[in-house]
Amino acid sequence: MITLGSYLALSGIIFSVGLIGVMISRNVLKVLLSLELLLAASNLSFVAFSKFNGDYAGQLIVFFVILVAAAEVAIGLAIIVVMYRRLSTIQADDLKEMKW
Amino acid sequence: MVGIDPLLVWIAFFAPLAACALITLFFLDSKRASSLVAIAGILISFACSCLIFTQIFQNDPPAQLQRSLTWIHLGGLTINFGFLMNPLAIMMLLIVTGVGSAIFIYSRGYMDEDPSSPRFFAYLSLFAFSMIGIVLSNNFIQLFMFWELVGLSSYLLIGFWYAKPSAADAGVKAFMVNRLSDFGFLCGIILLWSLSDTGAGRSFQFTDLMPAIAHIDPHLLTIVGLLLFCGVVGKSAQIPLHVWLIDAMEGPTPVSALIHAATMVAAGIYLLARTYFIFEPSSTALGVIAYTGALTSLMAAILAVAENDIKRILAYSTLSQLGLMVMALGLGGPLQGMYHLTTHAFFKALLFLGAGSVIYALHHEQNIWNMHGLLKKMPVTGITFLIGTLALCGIFPLSGFWSKDGILALAYTHSTPLYLIAATASGFTAFYMGRLFFVAFWGEPAAAHHGHEVHESPAVMTLPLVFLAILSAIGGFMGIPHYLFPQEAPEALNMRVALISSAVAVLGLGLAYKIYGRRASTDPLVSKLGSFYAVLQNKFYFDIVYGWYVDHVQQNIALFLSRFEKEFLLRLCVGGITNLARSGGKTFRYLQNGLVQFYALIFILGAVLLFLILVKTI
Amino acid sequence: MSPYFFYLFAAILILASLTVVLARNPLYNVLALVVAIFSLSCLFVLLEAFFVGMILLLVYAGAVLVFFLFVVMCLNLNDVKLSSGQQTRFRWLGSIVGLMFFASFCLATKSFIKAQAMDASSIRGTIEVIGKILFTDYLLPFELTSLLLLIAIFGIVSLAQGVLSTGKDFESI
Repeated sequence: MITLGSYLALSGIIFSVGLIGVMISRNVLKVLLSLELLLAASNLSFVAFSKFNGDYAGQLIVFFVILVAAAEVAIGLAIIVVMYRRLSTIQADDLKEMKW
Repeated sequence: MVGIDPLLVWIAFFAPLAACALITLFFLDSKRASSLVAIAGILISFACSCLIFTQIFQNDPPAQLQRSLTWIHLGGLTINFGFLMNPLAIMMLLIVTGVGSAIFIYSRGYMDEDPSSPRFFAYLSLFAFSMIGIVLSNNFIQLFMFWELVGLSSYLLIGFWYAKPSAADAGVKAFMVNRLSDFGFLCGIILLWSLSDTGAGRSFQFTDLMPAIAHIDPHLLTIVGLLLFCGVVGKSAQIPLHVWLIDAMEGPTPVSALIHAATMVAAGIYLLARTYFIFEPSSTALGVIAYTGALTSLMAAILAVAENDIKRILAYSTLSQLGLMVMALGLGGPLQGMYHLTTHAFFKALLFLGAGSVIYALHHEQNIWNMHGLLKKMPVTGITFLIGTLALCGIFPLSGFWSKDGILALAYTHSTPLYLIAATASGFTAFYMGRLFFVAFWGEPAAAHHGHEVHESPAVMTLPLVFLAILSAIGGFMGIPHYLFPQEAPEALNMRVALISSAVAVLGLGLAYKIYGRRASTDPLVSKLGSFYAVLQNKFYFDIVYGWYVDHVQQNIALFLSRFEKEFLLRLCVGGITNLARSGGKTFRYLQNGLVQFYALIFILGAVLLFLILVKTI
Repeated sequence: MSPYFFYLFAAILILASLTVVLARNPLYNVLALVVAIFSLSCLFVLLEAFFVGMILLLVYAGAVLVFFLFVVMCLNLNDVKLSSGQQTRFRWLGSIVGLMFFASFCLATKSFIKAQAMDASSIRGTIEVIGKILFTDYLLPFELTSLLLLIAIFGIVSLAQGVLSTGKDFESI
């Protein structure tokens, strides 16, 4: 039997995977991708709650989240491109000019 | 009934301060103008004092006036600034301003050659202001303020020729010793204040404290009395804090005359008389006071015999007479003490000014063995000096006889040991003063002194001498005791004491004539006293003991405290805190490693921990 | 039938997301994310949120991830060499923190595991229904997001301009 709990558990797993991805990726692109995973997991839980509560608001929020995520990814990629041009690398470890 | 005009009092109070300010601001380059301003200041005070005197004694009973301005008012603490004018105060004020005026006029002549005399007159005016402040103060804190100010003026004036190392050291010594005594004094003041309960809270005012004394525990009152006496010991140079007065002779002679003979050192006696109600109930305190005075008197008199500097001999004589005054107060006779203070002011100032005249004429020669037969060459100085000497020895009918006799009679009736000590001291006084007079003034004058012709000093210096000589002579007949303490009935003369003391004085003078009348070239006493003479020369080793203490004990304590401060307080405490901050910073900066993912990690870690805390798992 | 579809799509989703995180080749990462989005979309359809599911496919998989692919191709990435070890020690800590997070998440959602079945409500997120709500109750956010997209375009153009036009650095503008 599929309950709300199973959807939430799934969402939790995806979110944790995405979180780990953000923290351990060596590649900045991978970080951005993991960020997308986070958003996807939240979307899933929103829709699940929306179905469970009978309220369309959750789905509308997902709609907006997708839009904003699109914009954010675009800018993030532009920044990565600039970074590549400057440092010739997209290793996260090489971005350490703000060091102590 | 004519009351006292308060405006006169304020003018008398602040005229010398105005003079000092004017000199400092405008007249520091002009010798003539600065001396005139200073003399004007003190004369104004003197004139006002005379007017106030007449106003007081036109009334019967004599008038009294107190005015106060509230200066500090903080909860239970009230400090006023004002004056208390009563017969005792006006008499003291007359002495300060009268003798002061004479000395100011004299200084004009004496300091004529000195290039920095404007500074001298500024300091002198400052001193006059401070002394008048002590005389007029109506509460302990104001008194203490002016007490310290007088100490400062004394320091400035003793070390006036600051380029001379001995003078600068003497100034510092005086100030240090006074500071020591003032500490005890301040403790006494605060203790008294905390014990006082006037019904309207605690007070520093004399008039408020008078009725409050009755409620204070006698043992505590004794302690208060002894602590206040500490201040007197320092300021009036009693044993063991007498050491500064001798070295204070490094200052110019008018300074010695004014400060260290007539007025400042008398401030302690004045304090005792003014606040006598505090000491009266406590016989222990009075006993300590009396014996301190007596011992000082005797010791100083003995030491004077071995001195060869004219000013130092006079300084010891001052010490001795101060001791007598203190003893009188300890025996319950504020009247006798103040009477002697008044006459002493006259003849001691006279003696010092005379010595100054001699020093001036001989171009700063101070050793009496280099002075020959000055009576013939400097008649006015010589005769006035003689009058002063005789007054000091207590010869009838000069003023000193009456006042000293009062004290000796008091001692005779109250305590035999004290009387014997006092009488012995008087005998010694006659002896060394005779010695001084016979060596310096008697006999044949030398042809010339160091190639210069010796002649009488100018009139500006001799006129004050004459004025003071007249006062010394007739002072006994001016009815001073009545003016000092109008409530007390005049005392009859104790014939027995008078005869004994006169005999002792004549004996002393006679002995001095026998030894020194035929002028020898060196002091015959040196050989006669042998090794004891060395003890006298070292002033009973007080200075050496104090010096040893300062060098070995005081310095080590100071060094220890300095090291404690540097190592513990600065390095461990303050330095420890800074090191803690620095090392904390050094450790925590590794958090800023510039790696974004690390920051994200910390961020998420924080969020998780916060969540767990909120859910109360941790 | 529904439970099995759920488990199927859930499994694909989990595997795909693991691939996103763990694969070495950046191309694999992007493509794995595409797969993940697909399965997510199917899950949405299972939840009868048709409109959102379609939007997900169109916008996300269609536009965003293609953009990702463009960039991955453009940047001509070699194999990622092992990093110099700066962050290495923190990487292990990262995994642990992630697991901690998962644990706390489970703690938070404990109560929902025992909730009743999903079929309780019968809302269907069709285009008509969502559209109606979007243009009435949520009109303001709708318009604002268009503004947001405009601003995003400004940002991207100004960022990329400096890089593409003359090959000069961003700073020189």
